[in-house]
Amino acid sequence: MRDRLQHLHRVKTDSEGFSTVELNSLSELEPADPDQDLDGVLNEAQQIRLEIQQIQNDISELQDVNYQTINRTSFPSVTKRDSNTIGADIKRRGEAVLQQLHLMNDLRGELEARRGPSDPAVRIARTQYHCLSNALREVMFSYNDTEMSHREACKRHIKRQMEVVGREISEEELEEMMEGEELCVFSVHMEGKTIHSALMQLQSRQQELLELETRIQSIQELFLDVAVLVEEQGAAVENIEQSVQKAEVIVHDGTTQLENASTSDKNNPLKRMFCGCFPCYHS
Amino acid sequence: MAPSGLKAVVGDKILNGVIKSVKKDGEWKVLIVDHMSMRILSSCCKMSDILAEGVTIVEDISKRREPISSLEAIYLITPEEKSVDALIKDFKDSAFTYKAAHVFFTDTCPNELFAKIGRSRVAKAVKTLKEINVAFLPYESQVFSLDDPSSFESFYSPKKRDERDKAIASVAEQIATLCDTLNECPAVRYYKESEENLKLADEIRRRLDAHKADNLKMGEGPDKARSQLLIVNRGFDPISPVLHELTFQAMAYDLLDIKQDIYSYQTTGIGNSKEREVLLDEDDELWVQLRHMHIADVTKKVTELLRTFCESKKMSTDNANIKDLSQMLKKMPQYQKELSMYSTHLHLAEACMNKFKATLNNVCEVEQDLAMGANAVGEPLKDAMKSIVPVLLSEIDAYDKIRIILLYIFHKKKGIPEENLTKLIQHANIRDDSKIITNIQNLGCNIIVGGQNAGKMLPERKERADSTYQLSRWTPIIKDIMENAIDDKLDRKQWPFISEPATITTTQTAVSARFGHWHKNRSPTEHRSGPRLIIFMIGGVSHSEMRSAYEVTRATDGKWEVLIGSTHILTPTSFLNDLKKLE
Repeated sequence: MRDRLQHLHRVKTDSEGFSTVELNSLSELEPADPDQDLDGVLNEAQQIRLEIQQIQNDISELQDVNYQTINRTSFPSVTKRDSNTIGADIKRRGEAVLQQLHLMNDLRGELEARRGPSDPAVRIARTQYHCLSNALREVMFSYNDTEMSHREACKRHIKRQMEVVGREISEEELEEMMEGEELCVFSVHMEGKTIHSALMQLQSRQQELLELETRIQSIQELFLDVAVLVEEQGAAVENIEQSVQKAEVIVHDGTTQLENASTSDKNNPLKRMFCGCFPCYHS
Repeated sequence: MAPSGLKAVVGDKILNGVIKSVKKDGEWKVLIVDHMSMRILSSCCKMSDILAEGVTIVEDISKRREPISSLEAIYLITPEEKSVDALIKDFKDSAFTYKAAHVFFTDTCPNELFAKIGRSRVAKAVKTLKEINVAFLPYESQVFSLDDPSSFESFYSPKKRDERDKAIASVAEQIATLCDTLNECPAVRYYKESEENLKLADEIRRRLDAHKADNLKMGEGPDKARSQLLIVNRGFDPISPVLHELTFQAMAYDLLDIKQDIYSYQTTGIGNSKEREVLLDEDDELWVQLRHMHIADVTKKVTELLRTFCESKKMSTDNANIKDLSQMLKKMPQYQKELSMYSTHLHLAEACMNKFKATLNNVCEVEQDLAMGANAVGEPLKDAMKSIVPVLLSEIDAYDKIRIILLYIFHKKKGIPEENLTKLIQHANIRDDSKIITNIQNLGCNIIVGGQNAGKMLPERKERADSTYQLSRWTPIIKDIMENAIDDKLDRKQWPFISEPATITTTQTAVSARFGHWHKNRSPTEHRSGPRLIIFMIGGVSHSEMRSAYEVTRATDGKWEVLIGSTHILTPTSFLNDLKKLE
């Protein structure tokens, strides 16, 4: 990469007597007309972005909690929040973001009706809406992956604990256990601290798996809604060339309309009959 | 999976070197592009990528734009008059269109244009001005394109002779930026049979020297002395762009109407949308896996992968086919991405097979026999005319008939008598398109016996025993060249060097079995230390030739990386269309 800014400074002719420093400070002043619609769109987008980031933080916290519950040898001590609370928060935030996105789309529609589809604020709103929808979907996928990994970790743990108890467990029995069937462990000798601790572990793992399933079930509808949201927008919007070209088409239509308007204006009988001194000419 | 190779290098250069370099937290920017830079950007970055780095809208510089005076603008443009004038215009009046300008040129800005900027008001609004040296399109991880189909005419049309030198200069500069971006300073070789190759190679050598003066990293590294850049003309292998290929990517682009790499099809999803548009690029991991596979293997593979996927997610898979995917989507929307991917490729494969079964079964067999000069069991073809006449009289498209005729002529090696050609055109009833056949002589191919290119022969081909499918026996000639170049067996008389390379030692340095292999699985990036073989084809590259670059790279077990590129990417139809316009 070649930096040529210095070269430009050497070459440029100071035709209007402004130094670069002065012009920098000039441009720092208020821009001609702050576009409130545009600012509104960007602020709204930023809010949603922060909420999505918050969901991501919740997911990281959930990963920690999940890890600790499996890897502690003693019962988990008081953590800030447990997995159910975090899961409920993720669901609540996800649903709220979805709502905000719908509102954002409505806002875009209203702006479009008012300012036309090629207006930059409208196009910015469309792009932000699309990218944020994708971001929400990604973060929900990430939540699903986190829960699924935890489920696998629990299964592995159960298998190990069962071996400690002296009983091999098959895949089918594992599945049954995950669906809440009581496991027949009591046919083995149950003496000793190790066995006792293993049984406690097994019970809490089973409990966790059941809670996990419940969490995933309750969020199913949110997954579905987010999937529909993304599907309706299509994949092409991510493609930069497509976004730019779509804008082109619309602008082209606009210029055609302008041309038509000026032709019909030329044919305005008032313009043809009178000279430029009549007041109605300049409407 | 992040894209690797060329896309990753260019994507990284643009995202970090351009967009992120001027990012300010809390401030959004507008990104202004012209046609070429938009294509480059679009091929390696997504809207989400640039949004994440503070760009909220992308505008085309040549269109009328509403002022957005509260935001600064990044101009990523080619240093040509149209774009520079538009840049100047944005800052001409007292109210600037944007708050400030950060200007990034794709390659060197000529002095007159630079001075023009210096003289205008925009110079005071410019906060950044750089030349990024990326003037090519990273089409795939190992394929690049200069995105200029019109250069086909500049190089090969007799009515555009005067444009040729300009085209050569422009192409040379673009290739030089490719080498610059990859930090390569390869030895330049060219295929002797065509004069253009020498002229281009010479110009490239000059530009490489100029770039090296500014970028000292070019060519640095112990293995880099072995890197080579080969210049070859399209006429060197006219068979590959014309043959019907049965590998997934080549077949899809040949038979289906895929524009700008977007495949559209009808389906039922979760919602009400019926029409789906999918981008076939390297972000689709399944596409990367399937694109070079034979079509017969594709459907099998996708179905198998889908079954495994469903089993691992405990979904019922009695009929894991396209129709049930919408049901699966409703049951497990969190797997929307994966399920959509499987659905897309099942649809695509089915579409290819439907087209094939409709008309092409016989055609492909005849084509392979002509291209190979022998039938599937190795018996030399005795009476080629007898096999092509029934095909020419059948109900296939005019372009398919032309492809057969061309392959017949190439099979004849010395060309065919003019009256035979006339008879064939009559039989096939393709008078309107017959120009295509005679125009291909402009590429240096032998068509008429004793005619324009008498004495010119197609290169000898290697004997290969590795084809498993009867209808896919042909190997692009460029693959032979790639393998020979890597083994240092490429004939110096046919492929001379522009300047003598540093002594190429082919002795293998001792390779430890235990150490030094940790880097092998890393995706290739510009920091790749091994040597590269870069092939540039003047006039278009076909999908089968692109595939060869990957196959040869894999065969070297990562020691070499083969890149291939051209003025543009061909499909058989676009190739024939290009030929039609030559005269």
